[in-house]
Amino acid sequence: MKIEPERKDENSQRGRGLRGGVSIEALTKTMSTRRNEKEMRPGGRGRRLQAIFSVFLAVIFSFSSININSLLAQNRSARQEILPATGKNGKKAGTAGAAAAQKTGPAAVRASSQATPSRAEHQASAASIRGIPEATLKILKENKFLEEEFKLARSPRYYFVLNLKEKTLELRARGMVLKSWKASELRYSGKPVPLQVTTLTHKTALNPPERKVLNPAEQQAEEARKAEEQARRAIAKKEKENSQKPEQPQVAPVDTFEVEALEITDMPGSYELNFDDGLRIFIRSKSGFKEKFRQARETLLWNTWYPVKHFLNRKSELRPQLILYFDNLRDAQGIYWSFIDGLEGIIWFP
Amino acid sequence: MKFWKLLLWLTALVYLSTLAIVALSWVNHLKLSAEWKTIWSFELDPKARVKPEAQNAALKKKIRDLHPRGVYIIIDSAENRLYLKKDSQTIKEAVVSTGSGVILVEPGGKRSWQFDTPKGEFFVKSKIQNPYWVKPDWAFIEENEPIPKKMEDRVEAGVLGDYALGFGQGYFIHGTLYTRLLGRNVTHGCVRVADKDLEEVFKASRIGTRIYIY
Repeated sequence: MKIEPERKDENSQRGRGLRGGVSIEALTKTMSTRRNEKEMRPGGRGRRLQAIFSVFLAVIFSFSSININSLLAQNRSARQEILPATGKNGKKAGTAGAAAAQKTGPAAVRASSQATPSRAEHQASAASIRGIPEATLKILKENKFLEEEFKLARSPRYYFVLNLKEKTLELRARGMVLKSWKASELRYSGKPVPLQVTTLTHKTALNPPERKVLNPAEQQAEEARKAEEQARRAIAKKEKENSQKPEQPQVAPVDTFEVEALEITDMPGSYELNFDDGLRIFIRSKSGFKEKFRQARETLLWNTWYPVKHFLNRKSELRPQLILYFDNLRDAQGIYWSFIDGLEGIIWFP
Repeated sequence: MKFWKLLLWLTALVYLSTLAIVALSWVNHLKLSAEWKTIWSFELDPKARVKPEAQNAALKKKIRDLHPRGVYIIIDSAENRLYLKKDSQTIKEAVVSTGSGVILVEPGGKRSWQFDTPKGEFFVKSKIQNPYWVKPDWAFIEENEPIPKKMEDRVEAGVLGDYALGFGQGYFIHGTLYTRLLGRNVTHGCVRVADKDLEEVFKASRIGTRIYIY
């Protein structure tokens, strides 16, 4: 093997520096290429691992710093918004302050055009509840709920109460429970809904039930035409049968009638309820393979994509949404039937 | 070679970044979920709420006072069931027929009717034994018959059963000849009940008895 003088010198220097007493000749014999030389260098793999680890740490720290910065910014804005509420005027000042913050604060600027609960409001309440014992908070929360329910119970219309803790959806009138449905599973995401009366604006379903329209004059003409055609066919059939079989016992026609009506069974089992405060409630029933497949897909999305989506859009207003799963299709259909547009209600977590 | 190394590094970076984003997303997601339990947006001024326990008890009593007292009727139009209740006890349950939800259009499209049973709170306004049915215009339009000009031509006996409880705007809880259709949504908005069931409801209720339909 021929070794160039320059290379030899270089190798000899490196060899001396790293290997100490190992002779240059022995090394030059084993190291034929630069690649081999690199592999032989002590600590090569460790350095690579170190580099990967440092990159990983850098990524983690960068994301953490982003998150910490955003949290700090949120706290700063919350503190600014709460300042007027801590004054002597208490509630009035708080309301005015919140209103001012809604007008001028950065959260208010980002707020969507819909009447969604603003970030400022949530933060204000979050900060104002600090330092109050949990038991007192529960009582105060119940107090607020009862106040809101009393407003609804005074009107002659029925209303709904959705208890997120118990997973129950109740129809009430005058404070009395008319009907109750128990969800087998409940999920919520987005910004929490405020504890106040909310109104159902509309329902959306893939296959909404359609009302049958009767137009007697047209219907009668159509029926007469059909009857005539049927009679003609029956006569033709009878004639044909008579020619083939001389004697056959007559079978009475089966008593079947179809009711022209919109019934609970015509209601969809999967749909969406849209409320005036931006809340969306998805109602699902677990009946059938199709629904089970849908639920599996939603579970996957809920645990993978939604958290990422919410994280990436954390600075904008997140629309609150709920999914309620019912074991029976009829429960979901019953809710569709009873939840008429304009229905008011309260959603709360006791 | 350099290209492959760079690609490997980039892949590792993307993978780690994704992991970091997912982890942070989950932290954020858990934080948001916790907010549903702890935060609610309303102005909280504990000083203004002196003795909240007492206030809660007072509010509960106020709501309880709104509950119907004595005998009242609940009608579930989805399941076609009628419940006669006294305070919180169910004293009678019956299968009924409620509105079909069909839309009837008058030839020419001048008028239309939607055959729904109204929902909400109502009161018994009239109690009639052996009622006569004064057929409205839609009854003739539905049969494709001419609308009579004389009142006598509109009156039909026996169709509404033995009893009828009027609850306003021409709606009645009445008996029926078509017992086979009980449990189905077939009516023009009234509530049809079998005569033997209605007898008990009729006797128990008085003018002013509350009716809740949902």
